[in-house]
Amino acid sequence: MAQVPVQSIHRDPQLFYWILFPITIVMILTGVLRHYATVLMASAPKKQDQKATREQRSLLHGINVRGNHHVLSKPSFTARRDALITAYESGAYLKNPDSRGQPPPNPMSDPNAMEGMMGMMKNQMAMVIPNTLIMSWINAFFSGYVIMKLPFPLTIKFKSMLQAGVATRDMDPRWMSSISWYFLCIFGLQPVFNFLLGSDNAASQMAQQMNQMGPQGGAQMFGPGVDPNKQFLAEAENLAVIEHHSVLDGVEQRLLAGIKV
Amino acid sequence: MVICILASPIIVIRSFGASRPQAQEASNTAMTLLSKTITAFGSLLLAHACYSAREHTALQSIRAATAATLTSSSTAATSLPVDIIIETIISTFIILLGLVLGTRPLRPLEWRVWAGKIEREGEEGFTDNAGAVDKDYMGNPFSVLESRPNFVDIRKQRKEFAEWVQKGDGKQGQ
Amino acid sequence: MPSEQELQISPIVQESLVHNSRTLYNLQSLTASLFGVSAGILGLESYSGFVFYVALSLVTAVLFYALRVAPTSLASGKPPLDTSRYFRGAYDFWAGGLMNGFAGFVLTWTLFYGLVTA
Repeated sequence: MAQVPVQSIHRDPQLFYWILFPITIVMILTGVLRHYATVLMASAPKKQDQKATREQRSLLHGINVRGNHHVLSKPSFTARRDALITAYESGAYLKNPDSRGQPPPNPMSDPNAMEGMMGMMKNQMAMVIPNTLIMSWINAFFSGYVIMKLPFPLTIKFKSMLQAGVATRDMDPRWMSSISWYFLCIFGLQPVFNFLLGSDNAASQMAQQMNQMGPQGGAQMFGPGVDPNKQFLAEAENLAVIEHHSVLDGVEQRLLAGIKV
Repeated sequence: MVICILASPIIVIRSFGASRPQAQEASNTAMTLLSKTITAFGSLLLAHACYSAREHTALQSIRAATAATLTSSSTAATSLPVDIIIETIISTFIILLGLVLGTRPLRPLEWRVWAGKIEREGEEGFTDNAGAVDKDYMGNPFSVLESRPNFVDIRKQRKEFAEWVQKGDGKQGQ
Repeated sequence: MPSEQELQISPIVQESLVHNSRTLYNLQSLTASLFGVSAGILGLESYSGFVFYVALSLVTAVLFYALRVAPTSLASGKPPLDTSRYFRGAYDFWAGGLMNGFAGFVLTWTLFYGLVTA
């Protein structure tokens, strides 16, 4: 079996000091800076008028009743369900009951919606701008040579990505240029940020995920362009089809089974 | 430092045995000191192993270069010496042990177990390794219900107060 | 994984769940970077490096179980290697570290491989 000779390229050790470490340090510092920038730019939640708050909270009320119906007794659940369904279907909680059945307004024309979108834009910008800046910086200064070798083999398809700017046909795709080190840094520096910025950094991400899963996850639920009347009707239908059971059903048997004589 | 490492199993065993709440805090601080010491010691070993490996390959490449110029037969690059490999693996395990010892204590998942822990141990059950109470510790979530005032019959109290005032007036009038 | 009915009868504390999984996640990402460092120093390549990572992640999980989970879990009458006192789902506990720390592992592995065998 013919052993493929291992390619070895003699590189200047100065490559590490002048390329690898600067890129890594800049990436770490940018991450820290981005963290604090998002903390600073976070806009305080906007005050809403009473009607809009009532609209959102009553919908959340319905969702919570639906989610926690098992802690209610049968009569009290039925009373809540009937009251909520009649209110939802009559549109008693709507912000402006006159506009029932009309198509929702264009989100671009609503100033409140515009502000919410500005907040999202700001977060996106905080992600995108530093990344493009660093990428163009690396491309401008550090393109055209190979700095190190990946410890695992790759297929030939990665060659154009890893060796951007190095036009050599026979080179093993394991050799990588500075731009691919940049990509590795993007994906792999998360533990470093966890360590540097404390677990609050991870906590905020995890809390965001929790919020989106929970019933309070508001952005897309009360987002612009959603017809609240339709939401109310859908929620009334959800409430109506619930098959109620209480956690206290059969509690005596469970208690007796739990007691060891 | 060596003494610390040697004494580590004893401290670990003792801290597991400590179930009394007043002993918990002392053992927690001992734990964090222990884990930091172990991690620092392991990092030192790992750094030394890294430096050794670096020097070894540098030496190897110089030797290969000189051998290539002197003789035509090039010596194949030998792998790392055994002692560096052993040092790396041992230091990895030492740091691993230190990191695992340095993690924060877990909290019970089931509501009834968790509530029992709150009632039995209170704040001592929710400290981090340094012995400080966790920031998000909130105690019994229903303590508001325990301490809220009962129903107050304000009319009755007003009536009683009015009677008392009248009585006082009557006494003063006499 | 308990069914919905059981979950309603004996509910779980969300804060504890978040706390525990965050603790485990932090440990896993730190140790993955550490394994990358040692794999780089040892000069492991391709499959041996990944095997090294998988084996050491399992060792981490076992060590974490033995030091953090077992003392209280066994005392409360759970069978050995059962993590249901602190974690939902055994798979997340034993194998979740493989996914969580992989990017950090590759980063430090590449870095130290490049540094040592330059």
